[in-house]
Amino acid sequence: MTGLDALPPGASVRGRADGFADYLVGPAGRRRLLIDRFIETFEAWGYGFMVTPLIEPLDTIAAGVGGARQSALFRFMDSDGALLALVGERTVSVARVVATQLQEGPFPLRLCYAGSVLRNQAINAGRRRESLQAGCELVGAGGLAADAECIALAASALERGGVEHIQVDVGHADFIPGLLDSAGLDATAREEVLGALARRDLVAVESALEGTDAADVERRLLLAFPTLRGGREILETAAGGLRGDRSQRALQELAQLWDLLDAHAITDRVHLDLGAVRDWDYYTGPTFEVFSVDSGFALGSGGRYDTLLSRFGAPLSATGFVLHVDRCHDSIVRRAGAPPAPVVLQVSWEREAHAGALELARGLRHRGVACACDLVSGGEGDVQVGTSGVRWSHAGHDGRGTIDAAVAALASRAP
Amino acid sequence: MKGLRIALPGGTLFESACGLLNAAGVARLDPARFDRELSIRDGDDVYVKVRPTDVPVYVEMGGCDCGIVGKDVLWESSRECYELADLRFGRCRLVLAAPRDSPLARGEWPQALRVATKYPVSARRFFAARSLNVVLIRLHGSVELAPLTGLADCVLDITATGRTLAANNLVEVVEAGTSTARLIANHAALKTRNESVGGLAVALRRAASERLTAGAA
Repeated sequence: MTGLDALPPGASVRGRADGFADYLVGPAGRRRLLIDRFIETFEAWGYGFMVTPLIEPLDTIAAGVGGARQSALFRFMDSDGALLALVGERTVSVARVVATQLQEGPFPLRLCYAGSVLRNQAINAGRRRESLQAGCELVGAGGLAADAECIALAASALERGGVEHIQVDVGHADFIPGLLDSAGLDATAREEVLGALARRDLVAVESALEGTDAADVERRLLLAFPTLRGGREILETAAGGLRGDRSQRALQELAQLWDLLDAHAITDRVHLDLGAVRDWDYYTGPTFEVFSVDSGFALGSGGRYDTLLSRFGAPLSATGFVLHVDRCHDSIVRRAGAPPAPVVLQVSWEREAHAGALELARGLRHRGVACACDLVSGGEGDVQVGTSGVRWSHAGHDGRGTIDAAVAALASRAP
Repeated sequence: MKGLRIALPGGTLFESACGLLNAAGVARLDPARFDRELSIRDGDDVYVKVRPTDVPVYVEMGGCDCGIVGKDVLWESSRECYELADLRFGRCRLVLAAPRDSPLARGEWPQALRVATKYPVSARRFFAARSLNVVLIRLHGSVELAPLTGLADCVLDITATGRTLAANNLVEVVEAGTSTARLIANHAALKTRNESVGGLAVALRRAASERLTAGAA
């Protein structure tokens, strides 16, 4: 270790920028495996895998997401002076592709992707600036069956990936704005309440409502918003006395969605959450987030975004979701601990037996057993290949015999 | 599901925070015990005592499910937490204060202003709405000394009684905000432990208003 005084100012940790990570053997493999499980599940549901670039023109991103999210992007200049950005999410990219290359369908389009996203988070905040996301987009499908499919698929993929005890919270982007419409607030008060809700500041919601003449029903619901959760029964509780068409319609849609989720057999993991605070400029219908008690952050989130595609000139309804691979990985490790590293058999050989050792290694690999063959003779690996035969000692099982016998014995015990 | 991890702010709010949790009947905490231990189990819950500015960090990152912290800390923090309840104790105000004999103290705003503050984020937001040529000087303590030594023209600082300001010959020019203690919660905890977190919010809110009524009587 070098003392602080001897180090240059501004030196980064092991030469790596803050908020970025190296994944060494083990975690890197588990992370890749998790993505594989997610993509396998997406493909099993008919979603085709596609790839979009890590960089998009800032104009493209600006067509999709609002100012606050744009300012959190890493931005830089192209050689012609155009502004570029590293993508902070990939739904906008998929929307661009659909609107420009897949506008003929066939609809509904089922697409999935996985890749890095980057956010310019504050230094030393402990937040990742590069993270992995895997997601699905279901484009050109307006009905609630599409929303239900996405929710069920997200839950299925997470469970296939080994995330335990998940909980899906389903809300609706129209419910709270609808309440504000029918509460009879003036535009200033409406913005104030919406802003306070977006900041998740209930104290400010309360004080913003205090000075207004918001009707009692709406005031009661707005103040209760973090507790407006539960099964299908909360829809009736919430509907009592409610006047606004927009919030009524949101409740009706959630009721239908609940029945569809019941048909998908996942309502034991679903809560309806009328107080879900999401990006109201972006989402246009049902929204959802997936949680686990093992993580302080949402593991996945999604919803209906029927206006995004039209900003790229293709007025198509769409719904989708994203899974946060790194958070899922953290959550799995927190519950189960890091799983043991995969076993790699070490194959050693006596002089004159190199070819035999390589033959044995080929046989093991063919049977799906990972092995590494010594580069020089005389080692003391799990498997010793000599001119007179093979000896092996692995996981408490010893034996000796021919190359074929060794392959058969070791492959039968392979995990 | 029970078993919450709750972050308590060290410093001036600490004893009142413990007192409110006890009065609400959700805990039996002896503040003096935290002198020896930083983390204390009470029933199914775990309480940790951390620096006030660290409370939102613990809560956002999921190290704790809930926390109690002054609004003044939340003004400065970029952490995303749910702010569930105003606990109504620890009242203090963020004010702009200037030397008694300065033009600013008479309500004459100069074109250029050097402001010393421990609250740079709040200060930026406060001055963003005013067309002044402001230079912010971030200090970490005793900002009252800045005008005395000529380092700054005025201070933007927290005051509870106004005594420290007066002792340093400073008078309040304008108030930027009022702060009280708040209950904050982690996003996922609010969803996955909704009953526990919601129960805590209801109990603390009730105790806070009872305490205020009792104090007023």
